[in-house]
Amino acid sequence: MINMIHTLNNFLPFIYGLTFLFYLLDFFNSKKELSTAKRLFLFFTILIHFFYLLLRTIEFNHTPITTVFEIFTLLAFAITVSYYIIELVTEIRSTGTFILFLPLIFQIVSTLNIKDLIEVKDILRSPFLGIHVFTALTGYAGITFSAIYGILFLTLYNQIKKQKYGLIFDRLPNLEILEYLSQVSALVGFIMLTIAIVIGIIWLPQAFTEPKYFDPKLIATIFVWLFYAFGLTGKWLFKWSGRKIVYLSLTGFIISLFSMSVLNLVLTGFHKFF
Amino acid sequence: MELIAVAVNHHTAPIEIRESLFLQEDEIRNFIRELQNELAKESCVISTCNRTEIYCVPKNNSITYKEIQKFLLEKKKVENISESNFRNYFSCGAANHLFHIAAGIDSLVIGDQQILGQVKDAFTIANEENAVGTYLQKVFQSALKVGKRVKTETELFEGPSSISAAAVQLAGKIFSDLKKKKVLVIGAGETSRLTLQNLQQKNVKEITITNRTQSRAEALAKEFNAKVISFLDFKDCLHEYDIIISATSSPEPLVKKSDILKVMSLRKNQPLCILDIAIPRDFEPSIREIDNVFYSDIDALQSIVNQNLEKRQSQIPRIKKIIMEELIELFSWYNSLQISPVLKSLREQFEQIRQQEFEFFKNKFAPEQQENLELLTKRIINKLLHNPTIYLRKTADTIDTQGDLNLRINIIKEMFNLIDKNNHD
Repeated sequence: MINMIHTLNNFLPFIYGLTFLFYLLDFFNSKKELSTAKRLFLFFTILIHFFYLLLRTIEFNHTPITTVFEIFTLLAFAITVSYYIIELVTEIRSTGTFILFLPLIFQIVSTLNIKDLIEVKDILRSPFLGIHVFTALTGYAGITFSAIYGILFLTLYNQIKKQKYGLIFDRLPNLEILEYLSQVSALVGFIMLTIAIVIGIIWLPQAFTEPKYFDPKLIATIFVWLFYAFGLTGKWLFKWSGRKIVYLSLTGFIISLFSMSVLNLVLTGFHKFF
Repeated sequence: MELIAVAVNHHTAPIEIRESLFLQEDEIRNFIRELQNELAKESCVISTCNRTEIYCVPKNNSITYKEIQKFLLEKKKVENISESNFRNYFSCGAANHLFHIAAGIDSLVIGDQQILGQVKDAFTIANEENAVGTYLQKVFQSALKVGKRVKTETELFEGPSSISAAAVQLAGKIFSDLKKKKVLVIGAGETSRLTLQNLQQKNVKEITITNRTQSRAEALAKEFNAKVISFLDFKDCLHEYDIIISATSSPEPLVKKSDILKVMSLRKNQPLCILDIAIPRDFEPSIREIDNVFYSDIDALQSIVNQNLEKRQSQIPRIKKIIMEELIELFSWYNSLQISPVLKSLREQFEQIRQQEFEFFKNKFAPEQQENLELLTKRIINKLLHNPTIYLRKTADTIDTQGDLNLRINIIKEMFNLIDKNNHD
């Protein structure tokens, strides 16, 4: 089984790359055959990646959330599945190019660095942690989607304002749809982050004898959560829309990026397990 | 194939001639009946604002395109028409021309979607008049197949091909559901009418028209089931509309930037799409600086149309390939029609010989062996005929010219002495 896991691990970046390439080609040169092929490739990528994650979980007897690189492959999977669902529900196939480069990067980094880890701390085997990590990842994926759709909204907005009707104008869905996708993604991200925070706070006293609530990642995540709560409330109460809400989403994404990368590297806390 | 096409269209004749030649449905029916009586075994007429074309299989070889032209001009009196206003096509050329029409690439604007329906209607009328036989049935079915394939396999019909269609497409890039949007059309001229037609195709329900001459606005509103507001008051209601399309002949801008700033304030900054199709422009162009105001003038819309027409042009090689495939398929079918009687004669002759020889020799075999003997002789005949049959069918599928096909058929006939029998048939 180990050999199979290694083969799939090496194969995944190629199939992600191929899927991304199909989406890219279809964006620049829209053809019905390409449009069908790219969705098929996306489906098979998800299937293969699911099989890989399943094999890892069975073989190493833990969900793949114990190292950064295990989380990266899981994140690649979560983003791809989320995008696939959006594409199926909305039938909007032209935005995949701007999203599927993310799982490709995460998977390449994961493939190059992931190790066969059999011995892990007991704390990392907790099912609570599994749900906490999954919801947090989905939450951040939602925030990322919201930002990407926001950028696409702004690009199309500027193109129409400047009366430039090129490739972007041709291929992207309309402004209302892009704004809607950005808002729904932010809402899903917010709900998932809420669940992640609640589970984390409940689970913390059980996991640690002396829990510290001043962990930098926890504080940063709560800050991100508050920011999105503010934006969504504004949308709900004051009917904020258009560029205003998109700029808020982008700011939220930059803050979350900062919390995930800089704070994680510079500061230490109980969140640093590995 | 004895197919003749006589065509007068936008490539060959000015609008005055095309108008004079245009045939209404009842005229087409009468024309076909008379043509069937006098000149044609099969016939079909396509008559639209851009073309009047007659497709027919003549009753005999002496009838040419000249008789068809003359017949048309006897039925429709047209002044100043000359031979140069006609294009005449034969056999493969006629089918090829019809396929180009059905594909939408022979139209005045490449990618005209209506023409396929018009070809279909012409075929239906001819069918109802019992003027369609084996040949036209196949030719028109192939033409309709070409049209369908072009629709599904290419992007010829995508995107706008006129300013008014481009205006509606642009609005569709801002709003997701045009049906739910409120539209104001300023002006009641031809451009407004075309825009309203495009809006109607998108099922836009709430349309309001305003015009300096109220009666013209009312007439147009009646046609499109729209509301009318007074031209004097329209500025007070601008904030109620999501899309404003303006096509007046006003020499001065009707709406200033300050007006739109007030409108946006009343709209709570909700997006507003303004499509200014007028020359000179009806809106001050500086309104495009206002947040959430999407303003496009006629030049910008024309650039969308030009890009799209270029895109349509780029589809032509793919479409020509489809036409070629269908032409090959059509002529394989036609060749197979000529091959079938030869194959039948060949098989009958071999069977006759087999039966004669079987009858002659069967008494030399025991009765219980005769059944096997018959089976054996039949198998030998089948094996002998297998290769010639395959060869003839393949020839029908692949041969390019009618002359080549006839030559090969004649060789087979002579080799097996089929000539008399076939002629007799």
